[in-house]
Amino acid sequence: MLPENLTAVVARNESWTGTSASEPYEAGWAKEAIVFVRALKEPKGALPKARVEISADGMHWCAEGSEFDLPAAKDAVTFQRLAHFGNFVRVAASLPDGAEITVLVTLHLKA
Amino acid sequence: MTQLDDMRRAIREADPQLSRFDPLARIICLDDFDRGMCGWTQLVGNYEDNLDAMLPGYAQHSHAMLSTLPNWDFGSHGGVDGSYALKIATRPKKGAQNVAIKRLTFRKPGPIRLEAYFTFKPEATNLQLSETDIRSFGFLYDLQIGDTSGPGDRVMPHLRFLNAQDGQHLQKWQFKRKTTPIKPIGHAGKTITHYHLAPDDWEDLPGGKQRLCYNEIPTKVNWHYLRFDFDLGSMQATRFQVNDRVFAMDGFDCIRIPAMKNLWCMLNLAFFAETDTDKRAFAYLDSVCLSGEF
Repeated sequence: MLPENLTAVVARNESWTGTSASEPYEAGWAKEAIVFVRALKEPKGALPKARVEISADGMHWCAEGSEFDLPAAKDAVTFQRLAHFGNFVRVAASLPDGAEITVLVTLHLKA
Repeated sequence: MTQLDDMRRAIREADPQLSRFDPLARIICLDDFDRGMCGWTQLVGNYEDNLDAMLPGYAQHSHAMLSTLPNWDFGSHGGVDGSYALKIATRPKKGAQNVAIKRLTFRKPGPIRLEAYFTFKPEATNLQLSETDIRSFGFLYDLQIGDTSGPGDRVMPHLRFLNAQDGQHLQKWQFKRKTTPIKPIGHAGKTITHYHLAPDDWEDLPGGKQRLCYNEIPTKVNWHYLRFDFDLGSMQATRFQVNDRVFAMDGFDCIRIPAMKNLWCMLNLAFFAETDTDKRAFAYLDSVCLSGEF
């Protein structure tokens, strides 16, 4: 059987302001991942970097160390490659006052 | 029982994967989530031109995941006979729901049988039993007759285990006959929407109270068996069983709405979870067997 390969949309048309994150996603079966973020509307304000976070339990989170740009324009896409992330993974960002981005966050996972 | 039935039963009972199910003659799918997602996906709402058109009930949905049921206090729980189960997780907001769905069509309007091993638990964010934090776990079919079989309806049998509401531990099975008003989407005249999992209009299944094994701390779970028999010919439920209880279905009915122009022979099945507190509800499926008589 071919190894599992999953496209999981974990945030769709969600407006991020302040400290925001995608919902916790369990991907312990996957050896690698790519996180894609697409802006569905024109972002507002100064955008910070997004960061990947990992967790043992889905409740207590650590910065994994990977940071990447959030897309700067409507329909722009950014991504981050990931490996060795344990089980729970999410994408988080801390947006300053006045900044807002409506995101489509997709995990592409491979066993 | 014919000789073929006897032989089929003997073969199935000798197979550990099938022996814990009682399928009808033909197995449409046997989904063991140790093999992956098995064709289960997220229930996305209808839209046209812009995702803002999606009803909020659907906008909250996200993708189910392959889970080992990991817990902060004792680690991975695992499934009935393997490491993985399908996990349906809501957002941490009272009333939030999430759904996992499989989309098929049928080839004969006859009896079908849905069997599954399931469990549910809230996210263990505090060290309390939390037995009233999950509002419900449930499942549904979304069905429509064949294009030349009419007249007929789009039929949506729904059943949920109403575990708790507003902190009251209710523990009873309910069904639904009504959906929300049908609303056009966009301007092309091709798409409509309605939210059949709206919190209103659930009715108690007569004799449907049931106390399930919940276990004694917020992280331990036990797996439950369910079986739901439905006849695609008469579009009526014929039998419903959970663990040792078989429920009379004469008081049960489905959501019935006019047949839609592009859903002929639709056979969708879905499971859902709903939280009663600002805490994520987790529903888990170890395995699902759908079978039919054809």
